[in-house]
Amino acid sequence: MMDTEKLRKADIFSGTAILLLGLFIVAQAFQMPMKDSYAGVQNVWYVSPALFPLFVGAMLTLLGILLMRTALKEVGLTGLRSVFAYFTSQHFILFLKQKDTIRYYAIILNLLVFVFLFIPRVDFFLASLLFLLVFFFEFYCTDHNFLLKLIFLELLGSFILICFILLGIAARISETLPFLLDYLICAATAALILVTYRHVKTDAGLLKKFKLSLVIAFAAPFTIGVIFKYFLLVPMPFEGLVVTVLDAIWWADFWS
Amino acid sequence: MLIFERIQSFFEIGAGMVADPLSLAVLFGSVLLGILFGAMPGLTSTLGVALLTALTYSMETPMAMICLLSIYVGGTYGGSYASILINIPGTAAAAATAMDGYPLACKGEGGRAIGLTTTASAIGTIVSMLFVVSISPLISKFALEFTSFEFFLLAFFGILISGTLTAPDLVIKGWIAGFLGLFLACIGRDQLQFFPRFTFGISELESGIEVVPVLIGAFGIPQIIEVLKANTQMPKAKKLQRIIPEIGTVLRNIPAIIRSALIGVGIGAVPGIGEDIAGWVSYGTAKNTSKHPETFGTGELKGVIASETANNACVGGAMIPLLNLGIPGSPPAAMLLGALMLHGVTPGPMITFEHPTFILEVAAILLLASIAMWITGMILAKQVVKVLNIPTPLFMPIIGVLCIIGSYSLGLNIFNLFLMLPVGIICYFLTNMGYPIAPLVIGVILGPMADENLRRALMVSQGSFLPVFTRPVSLILFIIIVWTVISQFGWYKRLFGNVKARLFNNHTINH
Repeated sequence: MMDTEKLRKADIFSGTAILLLGLFIVAQAFQMPMKDSYAGVQNVWYVSPALFPLFVGAMLTLLGILLMRTALKEVGLTGLRSVFAYFTSQHFILFLKQKDTIRYYAIILNLLVFVFLFIPRVDFFLASLLFLLVFFFEFYCTDHNFLLKLIFLELLGSFILICFILLGIAARISETLPFLLDYLICAATAALILVTYRHVKTDAGLLKKFKLSLVIAFAAPFTIGVIFKYFLLVPMPFEGLVVTVLDAIWWADFWS
Repeated sequence: MLIFERIQSFFEIGAGMVADPLSLAVLFGSVLLGILFGAMPGLTSTLGVALLTALTYSMETPMAMICLLSIYVGGTYGGSYASILINIPGTAAAAATAMDGYPLACKGEGGRAIGLTTTASAIGTIVSMLFVVSISPLISKFALEFTSFEFFLLAFFGILISGTLTAPDLVIKGWIAGFLGLFLACIGRDQLQFFPRFTFGISELESGIEVVPVLIGAFGIPQIIEVLKANTQMPKAKKLQRIIPEIGTVLRNIPAIIRSALIGVGIGAVPGIGEDIAGWVSYGTAKNTSKHPETFGTGELKGVIASETANNACVGGAMIPLLNLGIPGSPPAAMLLGALMLHGVTPGPMITFEHPTFILEVAAILLLASIAMWITGMILAKQVVKVLNIPTPLFMPIIGVLCIIGSYSLGLNIFNLFLMLPVGIICYFLTNMGYPIAPLVIGVILGPMADENLRRALMVSQGSFLPVFTRPVSLILFIIIVWTVISQFGWYKRLFGNVKARLFNNHTINH
């Protein structure tokens, strides 16, 4: 949590956001049936679906105003001016470039790419493997400069993948070559391992961490995935190359 | 059910669980998993319950309850390992334990401290279990008299009190978090007229937001971001000697243990307030009532006993409102409520009719879990503390994968993930800006109850709010709500201060 002075300054913005959200909820609630008929039922105000959202929206609006008032009272107009001045100052740029902030970008980027880009389209095992490797290489067995390099590579790779999907190239090639995206992810994973290996190979400590990362990154998705898929009978979000191979092994005739 | 019948039934259920090898294996396995979760800084018992909810989805309800309650009990206790050995609380619940636990470890008495926390935690859980068994029928019977107005006010009170007591910064922020939760609960078709609210044409939102993925996002994602971003290097754990149960010390401190357990149960029963507050309040009380308060913070055994007894007693305390009123007493209890709903069990006053032995089952599990925790703690503590050497950047991403597959597996819906991640990121920002997450979660869970009961109550009273003032329970709840709100304002505090000062002055003059 931030210190009190920073919190009060942030409260001005969060209070405004809450106030706007409250007003938005109220505005949306007014579009719901209040006294008119809906689905053949004549409404009265106290059974209207708008009643509770109106209450919630009004309370959020009120609390947003109270929070802004409290923050402004403590910070004052000079404080408010200093906040705006901060956003246009060199300090803000420096904050955006701080190591902690960059680590935050890396975490969010990896989570977003995994959930929104990989999970719906790529085999769960491969997607998880790449997700874990990126995290391990970024935060466990390398340094800050390499973290920056990996962020850049992840952004570039994601951009290419998005273009590939949006332009319909993936869909067209998949007609003749199934599991195309899975092969691409395999290639990306191999490239990532290679790039990281080249970076750590001269440092015995980092090399040890690199090897441990590889073992865990391969073992974890397979353990988790196999438990969910074959013991809890939960189909994977996307079943591609690895699931097909695992299915073939799991349901193979020779077991019976 | 007569008291003797209840006792007989309780022991029959317990014996049935002990006689079943699978139940026993799940019990010990889950307790151990809970201890591991609690011991690793960055992982909490709430997260443990959240992740295991997905794994227990396909289990029978009694087995799932064994699993979830055991991990809750184990997780609450396991936090003390990191507190004692590396001075970093494994969970917030064990933060107060570090005050005296770590100095003890520095003196070479780490094994003694862990032995003591193990016994104290087990006693705390057992005492709270006694309260679950004895108080529940009374609350259930009382709650049967509740009408929709009472349920609406109760839900509203739960959110408000949770916001008031858990806000680390301004109380307003706690309330805002609660209302944000209520807003999330509004999303989807309303329960009375099936009108789509805030769905924006997205068909996946029509059935409302899934509670468990939101809870996993709210508790799991901020934790992952926080731990990875901080990149804290764990200090080397202090050496652990032989674990001694410290029965003699426990017996000498029985009154303090009972007091701490009562504090834990009481705080646990207040909606939304967790084990961390119970630990601190109990520690503070022990220090204030001690003849030698100066010894606290230097390795005082009473300090360790106070916090550990209270935080584990909180587990049973949190079960009381959860089972009888459907209002979770702590964040892990909120997760349990989500899990119970997935299993088709709706906690509340009707639970004694719909599932007559359910509360006794929960009590029996708490008793067995505390025994399993004691045995596991005594035998495996030396092995378990090795997890403190695992670097956090290695296990947090795996927790991320578990959060994602767990959220997806409940309903087999990828949309749950699209909801879980943004909720998690927003919760991370909210936490950083001093907004508590517990009221938000309680708001999401109690929102439908508050909404439905408000409208149902008004339907019965034809739009009149008069029953709030004519029904005694409603009136009491209403007065408490109003008092909770106005007591936070400056003018009230000034007025109260003036009245107190005048009374005090008059009192001094008269003497």
